[in-house]
Amino acid sequence: MIELLDNFSQFLVTLLATIGAGILFYKSRVQAYLLLTCFFGTFMLGTLYWTLHFLLFNYTPQIFYVSEFVWIASYMFLLTLGYTLSTPDERKFRHPAVWLVPIFCIPQLILYLLRGDILFNLLICGLTMAVAWYSTRGLVYARRQSGKLRAMKFFHIAVLRIIILEYCLWTSSCFWISDTYTNPYFWIDFLLTASLFALLPATKKAVST
Amino acid sequence: MTYIENIFVCIAGPLLLATLYMGKKYYGIFFFCIAGMGVCLLSAYINTFFAKIYNADFINATTQIAPVVEEIMKLLPLLFYLLVFEPKPEKINMAVLIVATSFATFENICYLIENGAAQFSFILVRGFGTGAMHIVCGAIASYGLVYVWQHGWLRIAGTFGLLGASITFHAIYNLLIAHGGITQYIAYSLPVITMFVGKVINEIYKSKHYT
Repeated sequence: MIELLDNFSQFLVTLLATIGAGILFYKSRVQAYLLLTCFFGTFMLGTLYWTLHFLLFNYTPQIFYVSEFVWIASYMFLLTLGYTLSTPDERKFRHPAVWLVPIFCIPQLILYLLRGDILFNLLICGLTMAVAWYSTRGLVYARRQSGKLRAMKFFHIAVLRIIILEYCLWTSSCFWISDTYTNPYFWIDFLLTASLFALLPATKKAVST
Repeated sequence: MTYIENIFVCIAGPLLLATLYMGKKYYGIFFFCIAGMGVCLLSAYINTFFAKIYNADFINATTQIAPVVEEIMKLLPLLFYLLVFEPKPEKINMAVLIVATSFATFENICYLIENGAAQFSFILVRGFGTGAMHIVCGAIASYGLVYVWQHGWLRIAGTFGLLGASITFHAIYNLLIAHGGITQYIAYSLPVITMFVGKVINEIYKSKHYT
Protein backbone atom coordinates (compact mmCIF):
# COMPACT_ATOMS: atom_id res chain seq x y z
CA MET A 1 0.00 0.00 0.00
CA ILE A 2 2.74 2.46 0.96
CA GLU A 3 4.64 1.63 -2.23
CA LEU A 4 1.59 2.53 -4.31
CA LEU A 5 1.05 5.73 -2.30
CA ASP A 6 4.74 6.62 -2.72
CA ASN A 7 4.74 6.03 -6.49
CA PHE A 8 1.38 7.68 -7.06
CA SER A 9 2.31 10.81 -5.08
CA GLN A 10 5.56 11.06 -7.06
CA PHE A 11 3.62 10.75 -10.31
CA LEU A 12 1.14 13.46 -9.27
CA VAL A 13 3.85 15.86 -8.08
CA THR A 14 5.96 15.44 -11.22
CA LEU A 15 2.82 15.87 -13.37
CA LEU A 16 2.04 19.16 -11.58
CA ALA A 17 5.67 20.24 -11.96
CA THR A 18 5.54 19.40 -15.69
CA ILE A 19 2.42 21.52 -16.11
CA GLY A 20 3.93 24.35 -14.05
CA ALA A 21 7.19 24.36 -16.01
CA GLY A 22 5.22 24.08 -19.28
CA ILE A 23 3.16 27.16 -18.39
CA LEU A 24 6.35 29.08 -17.54
CA PHE A 25 7.81 28.11 -20.93
CA TYR A 26 4.59 29.04 -22.76
CA LYS A 27 4.59 32.49 -21.12
CA SER A 28 8.28 33.36 -21.36
CA ARG A 29 9.69 31.14 -24.20
CA VAL A 30 12.87 30.72 -22.14
CA GLN A 31 14.95 27.70 -23.19
CA ALA A 32 15.65 26.68 -19.57
CA TYR A 33 11.94 26.21 -18.87
CA LEU A 34 11.59 23.95 -21.91
CA LEU A 35 14.41 21.77 -20.60
CA LEU A 36 12.84 21.76 -17.14
CA THR A 37 9.47 20.72 -18.65
CA CYS A 38 11.22 17.90 -20.50
CA PHE A 39 13.02 16.84 -17.31
CA PHE A 40 9.81 16.68 -15.27
CA GLY A 41 7.81 15.21 -18.17
CA THR A 42 10.17 12.30 -18.81
CA PHE A 43 10.56 11.65 -15.06
CA MET A 44 6.76 11.65 -14.75
CA LEU A 45 6.36 9.18 -17.65
CA GLY A 46 8.81 6.74 -16.05
CA THR A 47 6.97 6.97 -12.74
CA LEU A 48 3.59 6.55 -14.48
CA TYR A 49 4.65 3.28 -16.11
CA TRP A 50 6.23 2.06 -12.84
CA THR A 51 3.06 2.92 -10.87
CA LEU A 52 0.69 1.36 -13.43
CA HIS A 53 2.75 -1.83 -13.53
CA PHE A 54 2.63 -2.07 -9.75
CA LEU A 55 -1.08 -1.24 -9.66
CA LEU A 56 -2.06 -3.83 -12.29
CA PHE A 57 0.34 -6.68 -11.52
CA ASN A 58 1.32 -6.06 -7.86
CA TYR A 59 5.04 -6.08 -8.60
CA THR A 60 7.43 -3.56 -10.13
CA PRO A 61 8.96 -4.17 -13.59
CA GLN A 62 12.19 -6.12 -13.19
CA ILE A 63 13.16 -7.51 -16.57
CA PHE A 64 13.84 -4.72 -19.06
CA TYR A 65 14.35 -0.97 -19.27
CA VAL A 66 11.11 0.97 -19.86
CA SER A 67 11.01 3.39 -16.91
CA GLU A 68 14.79 3.33 -16.71
CA PHE A 69 15.00 4.55 -20.31
CA VAL A 70 12.96 7.69 -19.63
CA TRP A 71 14.71 8.33 -16.31
CA ILE A 72 18.03 8.31 -18.17
CA ALA A 73 16.50 10.78 -20.65
CA SER A 74 15.32 12.98 -17.76
CA TYR A 75 18.85 13.22 -16.33
CA MET A 76 20.13 14.08 -19.82
CA PHE A 77 17.70 17.02 -19.81
CA LEU A 78 18.85 18.03 -16.32
CA LEU A 79 22.48 17.92 -17.45
CA THR A 80 21.62 20.08 -20.49
CA LEU A 81 19.70 22.46 -18.22
CA GLY A 82 22.69 22.85 -15.88
CA TYR A 83 24.95 23.52 -18.86
CA THR A 84 22.47 26.03 -20.37
CA LEU A 85 22.22 28.03 -17.13
CA SER A 86 25.98 28.18 -16.57
CA THR A 87 28.04 31.16 -17.73
CA PRO A 88 31.27 30.84 -19.80
CA ASP A 89 33.27 31.92 -16.70
CA GLU A 90 31.61 29.24 -14.61
CA ARG A 91 32.51 26.56 -17.18
CA LYS A 92 36.19 27.56 -16.92
CA PHE A 93 36.09 27.58 -13.11
CA ARG A 94 38.02 24.78 -11.31
CA HIS A 95 37.74 23.77 -7.65
CA PRO A 96 38.85 20.62 -5.75
CA ALA A 97 35.39 20.31 -4.10
CA VAL A 98 34.11 18.64 -7.28
CA TRP A 99 36.15 15.54 -6.41
CA LEU A 100 33.69 14.92 -3.56
CA VAL A 101 31.24 13.75 -6.24
CA PRO A 102 33.16 10.62 -7.35
CA ILE A 103 34.15 9.94 -3.71
CA PHE A 104 30.44 9.88 -2.80
CA CYS A 105 29.14 8.15 -5.93
CA ILE A 106 31.69 5.55 -7.02
CA PRO A 107 31.57 3.29 -3.90
CA GLN A 108 27.78 3.21 -4.24
CA LEU A 109 28.05 2.51 -7.96
CA ILE A 110 30.23 -0.53 -7.13
CA LEU A 111 27.51 -1.74 -4.76
CA TYR A 112 24.85 -1.38 -7.48
CA LEU A 113 27.03 -3.17 -10.03
CA LEU A 114 27.48 -6.06 -7.60
CA ARG A 115 23.74 -6.29 -6.89
CA GLY A 116 21.96 -5.05 -9.99
CA ASP A 117 22.05 -4.47 -13.72
CA ILE A 118 25.45 -3.38 -15.07
CA LEU A 119 24.43 -1.38 -18.17
CA PHE A 120 21.66 0.66 -16.56
CA ASN A 121 23.66 1.41 -13.41
CA LEU A 122 26.69 2.53 -15.39
CA LEU A 123 24.55 4.84 -17.53
CA ILE A 124 22.43 6.38 -14.78
CA CYS A 125 25.33 6.74 -12.31
CA GLY A 126 27.56 8.22 -15.02
CA LEU A 127 24.90 10.78 -15.87
CA THR A 128 24.03 11.67 -12.28
CA MET A 129 27.73 12.03 -11.46
CA ALA A 130 28.11 14.44 -14.39
CA VAL A 131 25.08 16.43 -13.19
CA ALA A 132 26.42 16.52 -9.61
CA TRP A 133 29.91 17.50 -10.85
CA TYR A 134 28.51 20.52 -12.74
CA SER A 135 26.28 21.50 -9.81
CA THR A 136 29.04 21.27 -7.19
CA ARG A 137 31.25 23.46 -9.36
CA GLY A 138 28.34 25.83 -9.96
CA LEU A 139 27.53 26.03 -6.26
CA VAL A 140 31.11 26.94 -5.28
CA TYR A 141 31.23 29.46 -8.14
CA ALA A 142 27.85 31.04 -7.24
CA ARG A 143 28.83 31.45 -3.58
CA ARG A 144 31.81 33.54 -4.69
CA GLN A 145 29.62 35.88 -6.72
CA SER A 146 27.71 38.90 -5.53
CA GLY A 147 24.31 40.30 -6.42
CA LYS A 148 21.88 38.39 -8.65
CA LEU A 149 24.43 35.79 -9.80
CA ARG A 150 24.55 34.48 -6.22
CA ALA A 151 20.92 33.31 -6.56
CA MET A 152 22.15 30.52 -8.89
CA LYS A 153 23.20 28.67 -5.73
CA PHE A 154 19.54 27.75 -5.06
CA PHE A 155 19.34 25.90 -8.36
CA HIS A 156 22.57 24.00 -7.68
CA ILE A 157 21.49 23.13 -4.13
CA ALA A 158 18.16 21.80 -5.47
CA VAL A 159 19.95 19.66 -8.08
CA LEU A 160 22.49 18.31 -5.57
CA ARG A 161 19.68 17.47 -3.15
CA ILE A 162 17.95 15.41 -5.85
CA ILE A 163 21.15 13.54 -6.72
CA ILE A 164 22.06 12.80 -3.08
CA LEU A 165 18.53 11.55 -2.38
CA GLU A 166 18.57 9.40 -5.52
CA TYR A 167 21.78 7.70 -4.36
CA CYS A 168 20.37 7.20 -0.85
CA LEU A 169 17.23 5.74 -2.45
CA TRP A 170 19.14 3.31 -4.67
CA THR A 171 21.39 2.24 -1.79
CA SER A 172 18.42 1.69 0.53
CA SER A 173 16.76 -0.42 -2.20
CA CYS A 174 19.79 -2.74 -2.02
CA PHE A 175 18.93 -3.47 1.63
CA TRP A 176 15.17 -3.94 1.36
CA ILE A 177 13.58 -4.24 4.82
CA SER A 178 9.85 -4.52 4.27
CA ASP A 179 6.87 -3.13 2.36
CA THR A 180 5.80 -1.07 5.39
CA TYR A 181 6.39 2.40 6.82
CA THR A 182 9.47 1.11 8.68
CA ASN A 183 11.40 0.91 5.40
CA PRO A 184 13.53 4.07 5.01
CA TYR A 185 13.30 3.65 1.21
CA PHE A 186 9.79 5.10 1.18
CA TRP A 187 10.69 8.10 3.37
CA ILE A 188 13.67 8.89 1.17
CA ASP A 189 11.40 8.64 -1.88
CA PHE A 190 8.88 11.06 -0.31
CA LEU A 191 11.76 13.46 0.32
CA LEU A 192 12.89 13.01 -3.28
CA THR A 193 9.39 13.84 -4.50
CA ALA A 194 9.43 17.08 -2.49
CA SER A 195 12.94 17.89 -3.75
CA LEU A 196 11.87 17.35 -7.35
CA PHE A 197 9.10 19.89 -6.94
CA ALA A 198 11.50 22.33 -5.23
CA LEU A 199 13.53 22.40 -8.45
CA LEU A 200 10.75 24.42 -10.11
CA PRO A 201 11.05 27.60 -7.94
CA ALA A 202 14.83 27.16 -7.79
CA THR A 203 15.04 27.20 -11.60
CA LYS A 204 12.71 30.19 -11.72
CA LYS A 205 15.08 32.04 -9.43
CA ALA A 206 18.09 31.01 -11.53
CA VAL A 207 16.42 32.12 -14.77
CA SER A 208 15.55 35.53 -13.29
CA THR A 209 19.29 36.17 -12.70
CA MET B 1 4.78 -21.25 -36.10
CA THR B 2 4.56 -18.24 -38.41
CA TYR B 3 7.23 -17.83 -41.08
CA ILE B 4 7.28 -14.04 -40.94
CA GLU B 5 10.29 -13.72 -43.25
CA ASN B 6 8.25 -15.46 -45.97
CA ILE B 7 5.36 -13.05 -45.37
CA PHE B 8 7.81 -10.16 -45.59
CA VAL B 9 9.15 -11.37 -48.96
CA CYS B 10 5.56 -11.72 -50.24
CA ILE B 11 4.64 -8.17 -49.28
CA ALA B 12 7.93 -6.45 -50.07
CA GLY B 13 8.22 -8.12 -53.51
CA PRO B 14 5.41 -6.23 -55.27
CA LEU B 15 6.41 -3.00 -53.55
CA LEU B 16 9.99 -3.35 -54.77
CA LEU B 17 8.82 -4.04 -58.31
CA ALA B 18 6.42 -1.10 -58.19
CA THR B 19 9.30 1.17 -57.08
CA LEU B 20 11.01 0.61 -60.44
CA TYR B 21 8.03 2.06 -62.34
CA MET B 22 7.13 4.92 -60.00
CA GLY B 23 10.09 7.19 -60.65
CA LYS B 24 12.66 8.82 -58.36
CA LYS B 25 10.11 11.06 -56.67
CA TYR B 26 8.48 8.08 -54.94
CA TYR B 27 11.65 6.16 -53.95
CA GLY B 28 11.49 7.61 -50.44
CA ILE B 29 7.92 6.46 -49.80
CA PHE B 30 8.66 2.89 -50.91
CA PHE B 31 11.97 2.85 -49.06
CA PHE B 32 10.32 3.85 -45.75
CA CYS B 33 7.43 1.44 -46.33
CA ILE B 34 9.80 -1.50 -46.79
CA ALA B 35 12.04 -0.23 -43.96
CA GLY B 36 9.03 -0.13 -41.59
CA MET B 37 8.11 -3.73 -42.39
CA GLY B 38 11.77 -4.79 -42.31
CA VAL B 39 12.31 -3.38 -38.82
CA CYS B 40 9.09 -5.09 -37.69
CA LEU B 41 10.57 -8.39 -38.88
CA LEU B 42 13.89 -7.72 -37.15
CA SER B 43 12.08 -6.61 -33.97
CA ALA B 44 10.36 -9.99 -33.80
CA TYR B 45 13.75 -11.75 -33.86
CA ILE B 46 15.29 -9.39 -31.29
CA ASN B 47 12.25 -9.64 -28.98
CA THR B 48 12.53 -13.42 -29.02
CA PHE B 49 16.27 -13.20 -28.38
CA PHE B 50 15.87 -10.95 -25.31
CA ALA B 51 12.87 -12.92 -24.03
CA LYS B 52 15.06 -16.07 -24.06
CA ILE B 53 18.03 -14.30 -22.44
CA TYR B 54 15.94 -12.82 -19.61
CA ASN B 55 13.76 -15.92 -19.37
CA ALA B 56 10.71 -13.67 -19.67
CA ASP B 57 7.16 -14.97 -19.79
CA PHE B 58 4.58 -13.66 -22.32
CA ILE B 59 3.36 -10.76 -20.13
CA ASN B 60 6.84 -9.51 -19.25
CA ALA B 61 8.00 -9.86 -22.85
CA THR B 62 5.07 -7.81 -24.22
CA THR B 63 5.01 -5.17 -21.49
CA GLN B 64 8.74 -4.63 -20.99
CA ILE B 65 10.87 -5.99 -23.83
CA ALA B 66 8.73 -5.44 -26.97
CA PRO B 67 8.05 -1.67 -26.52
CA VAL B 68 11.74 -0.84 -26.05
CA VAL B 69 12.96 -3.02 -28.93
CA GLU B 70 10.20 -1.98 -31.37
CA GLU B 71 10.47 1.77 -30.75
CA ILE B 72 14.27 1.73 -31.01
CA MET B 73 14.06 -0.30 -34.22
CA LYS B 74 11.48 2.10 -35.69
CA LEU B 75 13.77 5.03 -35.00
CA LEU B 76 16.84 3.48 -36.68
CA PRO B 77 15.83 4.00 -40.36
CA LEU B 78 14.77 7.51 -39.45
CA LEU B 79 18.06 8.32 -37.71
CA PHE B 80 19.86 7.08 -40.82
CA TYR B 81 17.70 9.42 -42.93
CA LEU B 82 18.30 12.38 -40.58
CA LEU B 83 22.04 11.91 -40.29
CA VAL B 84 22.81 11.04 -43.93
CA PHE B 85 20.31 13.12 -45.92
CA GLU B 86 19.63 16.02 -43.50
CA PRO B 87 16.04 16.42 -44.81
CA LYS B 88 13.66 19.37 -44.53
CA PRO B 89 11.28 19.31 -41.51
CA GLU B 90 8.15 18.46 -43.54
CA LYS B 91 9.88 15.40 -45.01
CA ILE B 92 10.76 14.08 -41.53
CA ASN B 93 7.04 13.90 -40.62
CA MET B 94 6.21 11.89 -43.71
CA ALA B 95 9.10 9.46 -43.20
CA VAL B 96 8.23 8.69 -39.56
CA LEU B 97 4.55 8.19 -40.25
CA ILE B 98 5.19 5.85 -43.19
CA VAL B 99 7.62 3.76 -41.11
CA ALA B 100 5.11 3.60 -38.22
CA THR B 101 2.14 2.73 -40.46
CA SER B 102 3.95 0.02 -42.42
CA PHE B 103 5.28 -1.40 -39.12
CA ALA B 104 1.71 -1.59 -37.75
CA THR B 105 0.38 -3.09 -41.01
CA PHE B 106 3.02 -5.83 -41.07
CA GLU B 107 2.42 -6.58 -37.37
CA ASN B 108 -1.34 -6.86 -38.01
CA ILE B 109 -0.81 -9.18 -40.99
CA CYS B 110 1.38 -11.49 -38.87
CA TYR B 111 -1.21 -11.38 -36.08
CA LEU B 112 -4.01 -12.33 -38.50
CA ILE B 113 -2.02 -15.23 -39.95
CA GLU B 114 -1.22 -16.57 -36.49
CA ASN B 115 -4.63 -16.05 -34.86
CA GLY B 116 -7.09 -16.14 -37.75
CA ALA B 117 -9.49 -13.47 -38.90
CA ALA B 118 -12.79 -15.06 -37.90
CA GLN B 119 -13.79 -12.54 -35.20
CA PHE B 120 -14.40 -9.39 -37.19
CA SER B 121 -15.35 -7.15 -34.24
CA PHE B 122 -12.15 -8.02 -32.33
CA ILE B 123 -9.99 -7.65 -35.44
CA LEU B 124 -11.56 -4.25 -36.09
CA VAL B 125 -10.86 -3.04 -32.55
CA ARG B 126 -7.34 -4.48 -32.57
CA GLY B 127 -6.59 -3.13 -36.03
CA PHE B 128 -7.59 0.40 -35.13
CA GLY B 129 -6.13 0.24 -31.60
CA THR B 130 -2.70 -1.12 -32.51
CA GLY B 131 -2.58 0.86 -35.75
CA ALA B 132 -3.40 4.09 -33.92
CA MET B 133 -0.88 3.27 -31.18
CA HIS B 134 1.99 2.91 -33.68
CA ILE B 135 0.91 6.11 -35.43
CA VAL B 136 0.75 8.01 -32.12
CA CYS B 137 4.24 6.75 -31.23
CA GLY B 138 5.39 7.79 -34.71
CA ALA B 139 3.73 11.20 -34.31
CA ILE B 140 5.43 11.75 -30.92
CA ALA B 141 8.76 11.02 -32.58
CA SER B 142 8.12 12.95 -35.79
CA TYR B 143 6.67 16.18 -34.41
CA GLY B 144 9.29 16.13 -31.65
CA LEU B 145 12.20 15.39 -33.95
CA VAL B 146 11.25 18.20 -36.32
CA TYR B 147 11.63 20.61 -33.40
CA VAL B 148 14.56 18.95 -31.68
CA TRP B 149 16.77 18.64 -34.77
CA GLN B 150 16.48 22.36 -35.44
CA HIS B 151 18.18 23.07 -32.10
CA GLY B 152 21.71 21.71 -31.77
CA TRP B 153 21.71 21.92 -27.95
CA LEU B 154 18.62 19.72 -27.73
CA ARG B 155 19.50 17.00 -30.26
CA ILE B 156 20.91 14.22 -28.04
CA ALA B 157 18.72 14.67 -24.94
CA GLY B 158 15.68 15.49 -27.10
CA THR B 159 15.99 12.40 -29.33
CA PHE B 160 16.51 10.23 -26.26
CA GLY B 161 13.54 11.86 -24.50
CA LEU B 162 11.22 11.42 -27.50
CA LEU B 163 12.27 7.81 -27.86
CA GLY B 164 11.59 7.36 -24.14
CA ALA B 165 8.15 8.98 -24.46
CA SER B 166 7.13 6.74 -27.36
CA ILE B 167 8.48 3.65 -25.55
CA THR B 168 6.44 4.54 -22.44
CA PHE B 169 3.25 5.15 -24.45
CA HIS B 170 3.71 1.80 -26.24
CA ALA B 171 4.53 0.03 -22.94
CA ILE B 172 1.48 1.46 -21.16
CA TYR B 173 -0.73 0.35 -24.08
CA ASN B 174 0.70 -3.19 -23.94
CA LEU B 175 0.47 -3.19 -20.13
CA LEU B 176 -3.24 -2.35 -20.15
CA ILE B 177 -3.95 -4.98 -22.83
CA ALA B 178 -1.94 -7.64 -20.99
CA HIS B 179 -3.97 -7.00 -17.84
CA GLY B 180 -7.20 -7.85 -19.69
CA GLY B 181 -10.76 -7.02 -18.60
CA ILE B 182 -11.96 -3.43 -18.78
CA THR B 183 -8.40 -2.02 -18.94
CA GLN B 184 -8.01 -3.78 -22.30
CA TYR B 185 -10.76 -1.61 -23.78
CA ILE B 186 -9.24 1.51 -22.20
CA ALA B 187 -6.01 0.53 -23.96
CA TYR B 188 -7.68 0.12 -27.36
CA SER B 189 -9.39 3.51 -27.08
CA LEU B 190 -6.32 5.33 -25.65
CA PRO B 191 -4.40 5.80 -28.95
CA VAL B 192 -7.54 6.84 -30.87
CA ILE B 193 -8.41 9.42 -28.18
CA THR B 194 -4.77 10.63 -28.13
CA MET B 195 -4.82 10.98 -31.92
CA PHE B 196 -8.07 12.93 -31.76
CA VAL B 197 -6.80 15.26 -29.00
CA GLY B 198 -3.52 15.74 -30.89
CA LYS B 199 -5.40 16.62 -34.07
CA VAL B 200 -7.59 19.17 -32.22
CA ILE B 201 -4.54 20.78 -30.57
CA ASN B 202 -2.77 20.88 -33.94
CA GLU B 203 -5.77 22.58 -35.58
CA ILE B 204 -6.03 25.16 -32.77
CA TYR B 205 -2.29 25.87 -33.06
CA LYS B 206 -2.54 26.24 -36.84
CA SER B 207 -5.56 28.56 -36.65
CA LYS B 208 -3.78 30.76 -34.10
CA HIS B 209 -0.47 30.99 -35.93
CA TYR B 210 -1.39 30.87 -39.63
CA THR B 211 -4.48 33.14 -39.81
